[in-house]
Amino acid sequence: MNDMRLFERAAAVDGVKIRAQGVNVHYGAAHALKDVSVDIGDRLVTAFIGPSGCGKSTFLRCLNRMNDTIPAARVTGTIALDGQDIYDRRVDPVQLRAKVGMVFQKPNPFPKSIYDNVAYGPKIHGLAKNRAELDEIVEKALRRAALWTEAKDRLQSPGTGLSGGQQQRLCIARAIATEPEVLLMDEPCSALDPIATAQVEELIDELKQNYSVVIVTHSMQQAARVSQRTAFFHLGNLVEYGETGQIFTNPSDPRTESYISGRIG
Amino acid sequence: MPLGWLFLLVLLIAALGYALGRRRALAGAGGNLRAMHSLPGAYGWNVAMAVLIPSLIMLALWTALAPFVLDRMVAPLMAGQEGEISLLMSDVRRVADGLVRLGEDVSSVQAEGLRDRLAEVGVAVGQDVSDATLAAAARYDVLSARSGWALTVLVLAIALGAAAWSLRRITPGLRARNEVETAIQGLLIAAALVAIATTVGIVLALISNTIRFFQVYPASDFFFGATWSPSFGGGSELGILPLVWGTLYISAIALLVAVPLGLLSAVYLSEYASKRVRAWAKPMLEVLAGIPSIVYGLFALLTVGPALLVVFGDGGLGWMQGGTAVITAGLVMGIMLIPFVSSLSDDIINAVPQAMRDGSLGLGATPSETIRQVVLPAALPGIAGAVLLAASRAIGETMIVVLGAGAAARLSLNPFEAMTTITAKIVSQLTGDQDFTSPEALVAFSLGMTLFVVTLCLNILALWIVRRYREQYE
Repeated sequence: MNDMRLFERAAAVDGVKIRAQGVNVHYGAAHALKDVSVDIGDRLVTAFIGPSGCGKSTFLRCLNRMNDTIPAARVTGTIALDGQDIYDRRVDPVQLRAKVGMVFQKPNPFPKSIYDNVAYGPKIHGLAKNRAELDEIVEKALRRAALWTEAKDRLQSPGTGLSGGQQQRLCIARAIATEPEVLLMDEPCSALDPIATAQVEELIDELKQNYSVVIVTHSMQQAARVSQRTAFFHLGNLVEYGETGQIFTNPSDPRTESYISGRIG
Repeated sequence: MPLGWLFLLVLLIAALGYALGRRRALAGAGGNLRAMHSLPGAYGWNVAMAVLIPSLIMLALWTALAPFVLDRMVAPLMAGQEGEISLLMSDVRRVADGLVRLGEDVSSVQAEGLRDRLAEVGVAVGQDVSDATLAAAARYDVLSARSGWALTVLVLAIALGAAAWSLRRITPGLRARNEVETAIQGLLIAAALVAIATTVGIVLALISNTIRFFQVYPASDFFFGATWSPSFGGGSELGILPLVWGTLYISAIALLVAVPLGLLSAVYLSEYASKRVRAWAKPMLEVLAGIPSIVYGLFALLTVGPALLVVFGDGGLGWMQGGTAVITAGLVMGIMLIPFVSSLSDDIINAVPQAMRDGSLGLGATPSETIRQVVLPAALPGIAGAVLLAASRAIGETMIVVLGAGAAARLSLNPFEAMTTITAKIVSQLTGDQDFTSPEALVAFSLGMTLFVVTLCLNILALWIVRRYREQYE
């Protein structure tokens, strides 16, 4: 997949998919995210890095309004998806989340069969007219998540019976089955072994042909391997955001350099 | 010496032993705590326990067994039939006790008129006191006094001996803490055994009486008989089927009320209610579980029954003859079971990991889709367990049925008729003066046994389901 000649990596920018401006998040009295402005490019992998508690997951959850489920969270500023403010009163978070899918840190397959796990999203959004179409969607999603060969003979067995890496790929298949435009991944590999991690990273690389992918990761190698853009968060501030190659080889902020070289974090 | 004083004396010896043991251990180590295996208190407890355990066991055993031994020693003095002896012996004990209250010496008192004099001090004797009874009472007095002395001497000897022995053993190297902890573990095991032994005892009593019942009444008539008409004059028909039918019918109605209401309120409380609403609504629901079932019974008898009668009775639809009916008891029992179902289901729904909900919401599902398609299926085995527990509670419920459902044992499909259940019939078979060898009384035990087996099976099934569910998420 990616080589490490970071400077020469092509970052073809089709345009801005998500534009966040002056985003602040408060959890009760705690100020978790301070005035963050980021443009997330279309058909690119954007990585958020930074030490624990720096606000990168909080920001990720703002992008599909998952913070709405936490009563104490308060979000200000604007986040626009294709120019439409997602915190506008007219936007239904349910519709938004169909467009902005999410994969979580720990694989969380539903206690249903593998088939029903993948078919869940298409069913609730009415994407399939009949059973044959649904079968097709499920197969396509499983193929793109590189799970088809392992799962095709056991589609009716429970998703919880898969191994950790397979479960995470199942969750990715579940997320892409609803055909989102943006895929948010919150440390998708932190519960996986190196082999499963490599499979998921390969998958992310393929996904960027169709989607914008935003990935939160603790592994700087992972950020360097899979992303074209990197944002470095520290203590709730966005410290630096730019081409991944530039961030890792020639950061402009001393804090970024300290973090990347392992002195803080 | 009275038992209370003896007990206090043993405690005193134990307390002294604690202080001495502690001091001796400290002195042995020259006051250096680091040279000792355990903390000083452990040495003290070691002595105290060595005193308490054997002497209290001795005290308990002697107190429990002495009356039997005394009876056997005195009984040969009395002439009488077998059944009579026990009556006479209780007279002997009363006379012996009464004389002490009168302040009379056994050797000088006259048998004549003694019964009336005893009655004056509040001791009722079964028949006139005969010379033989008086002689036996005298013997009983002597023997029980001796027994008391022997007990005092024995217990004090054991306590002091144990104290001396365990004090001598104390050296700084003694593993006092380990010994104390072993003894405490033994205490815990004993406490657990009491509960288990009681259960076993109840089951054995039920089984032995059930066997006696089946010796006087054919088992096939009991299990397959469709008529329940006990008559203490003989010739009763004791078929369990009408009672089983009544039990199941009332329980089914109760569950029909409790499960939907309980489940829906559990979903509201765990998924939709704000923290403030939950903080007062959940305790309010659980208050329902704290109301004694007799109060529900009154509610059924005085409020629900008459209210139903207004609608379905002769003034209304004309389906209902009296306030006591299957539907009355079923409705009230259902209300009683709501907190069972809702509280357990609420806990189970809360135990479904948040990651499950996030996963579903993250795919663009609405909260209600998430609950119906992800949360409830994940919680279903646990909810089934909760419903089964409620069912076994419904089957065992008595007071609501006695007051709300009537007393007629009948096989009928009409929910507006009076019916009765196994539990209510157990009550009616055993209340009042009964000859415990007649089938009409013994049938209560086999009814109880049947009920016990049914609820046990339901509970085991419920616990098995709940446990299987738990394994999934840990």
